[in-house]
Amino acid sequence: MAASCALLGAAAARGQDAKTAPAGSGLLDDWSVDSALAYYHENGRIQAIEPVVAVAKIFADGQSLNSNATFDSLSGSSPNGALTSHLAQTFASPSGKAKHGYTTAPGQLPVDPHYQDTRLAVDGNWTLPLTRVDQLSVGGKLSDEHDFFSATVNASIAHDFNEKNTTLSLGIYDEYDSLQPIGGAPVPGSDYALFEKTGHKKKNGAGVLLGLTQVMSRNWLSEFNLSVDRFQGYLNDPYKITSIIDSAGNTTGYEYESRPDRRTRKSAYWENRVAWSRQASAALSLRYMSDDWGVRSDTALLHLHWSLGGGERYIEPSFRWYRQTAADFYTPFIFNTQAPSTRYEASDSRLGAFHALTYGVKYAWKMPGPGGRESELSVRAEYYQQTFDERMPTPAALQGLDLYPGLKAVLVQVGWRF
Amino acid sequence: MTFKQLSILCLLCGTAFAGGCAGLGVRPWQRDVLAREDMRLDANPLDAAIDDHMYFSKEASSGGRSFAGGGCGCN
Repeated sequence: MAASCALLGAAAARGQDAKTAPAGSGLLDDWSVDSALAYYHENGRIQAIEPVVAVAKIFADGQSLNSNATFDSLSGSSPNGALTSHLAQTFASPSGKAKHGYTTAPGQLPVDPHYQDTRLAVDGNWTLPLTRVDQLSVGGKLSDEHDFFSATVNASIAHDFNEKNTTLSLGIYDEYDSLQPIGGAPVPGSDYALFEKTGHKKKNGAGVLLGLTQVMSRNWLSEFNLSVDRFQGYLNDPYKITSIIDSAGNTTGYEYESRPDRRTRKSAYWENRVAWSRQASAALSLRYMSDDWGVRSDTALLHLHWSLGGGERYIEPSFRWYRQTAADFYTPFIFNTQAPSTRYEASDSRLGAFHALTYGVKYAWKMPGPGGRESELSVRAEYYQQTFDERMPTPAALQGLDLYPGLKAVLVQVGWRF
Repeated sequence: MTFKQLSILCLLCGTAFAGGCAGLGVRPWQRDVLAREDMRLDANPLDAAIDDHMYFSKEASSGGRSFAGGGCGCN
């Protein structure tokens, strides 16, 4: 199941004027087009290819339309949540079909080698000015995978004041998700060997975002956002299991993860963009997030921008630092004296305590585009690395094993817009 | 710093922005630098969307800059 990131742009005036509609002739008259092809590769695990196309049109009366289509194709090996062992481990496929079962060699992280998924997502947003200083934006998004469907609607309103130096915005969204896991949705916390699965599951969410954008000076723009969202329903990853071990550390079985059926997240976000010369600028964003699962996270992202060749080219190095605490119910394994667990538990490493670093660079240059317009071609590369920060005391039979392998990934992307 | 403390700080800053700091900002003819592509808050929306998708899939946090969304059951 690919992650369907429903990041919905809350269109707002944000203290800036809208982009000028491009001049040209033909089918794409007055439309701007932004496209990218991304390739993502994890060390020994998942790889993904993701083409994206976005089109936008700004009308003479100030209204604008934005639409975006994304396709994902993922394949490779996905960790199933079980613990690495000194012994070989055999697992059934999520569907229960014998031909898709797999065996993990001693000392290797258990992964489902048959992972494959595709996703198609489309979204649209319509922004219209209500008055000279107010604008309304409404939109929606649909995302479909063979085992997951998501539909989202959103609306936001923005008000400019202080000579359009200040913009206050309020956005809301509502999301409906339907899960149809392969083989059915496991009963949370149930014994893996019993294959207790039910049919389709649902979850729903809603959120609100309050934003404030302020022009601080001629070369400094600042934005504050506060957001809260709440999800309820089946919030488990239906393909994740947790190892059950004895006091010596030998695996005696597995059970499906069991997460709470509600989650409330709150975040505060602050971004600053500062130009310090005609050629250079920097964007620094900070985010703090917390949820009622016990996860707290801090994120800092720095983008630098240098124009070269009189604006014909530019280069953008970037650096991101991220840190999160573990969810209260995160555990890499369960002792058999505690199983079957009646409490929430999940061994999903994404709910553990870790920090991550991303190093990136983008290079872009201007060139003639369709209809005599100027276009921009770009290439971008990123390297992402996760490292675990907290490790539980390890029983004897697990000594010498890498129970917290972390993650290394690269992303390469080409883009073209006109 | 807790979310509550951070929220209070942001609201204080917001109040200062909206009310007491009308002196902040520029005149309409001074927006030349702010109009630059690299000074837009959404300067590279596709890059941001692709990055957010990666982080959403690998971390327990998402959103902040815009709506987070719940996505699939994998996080």
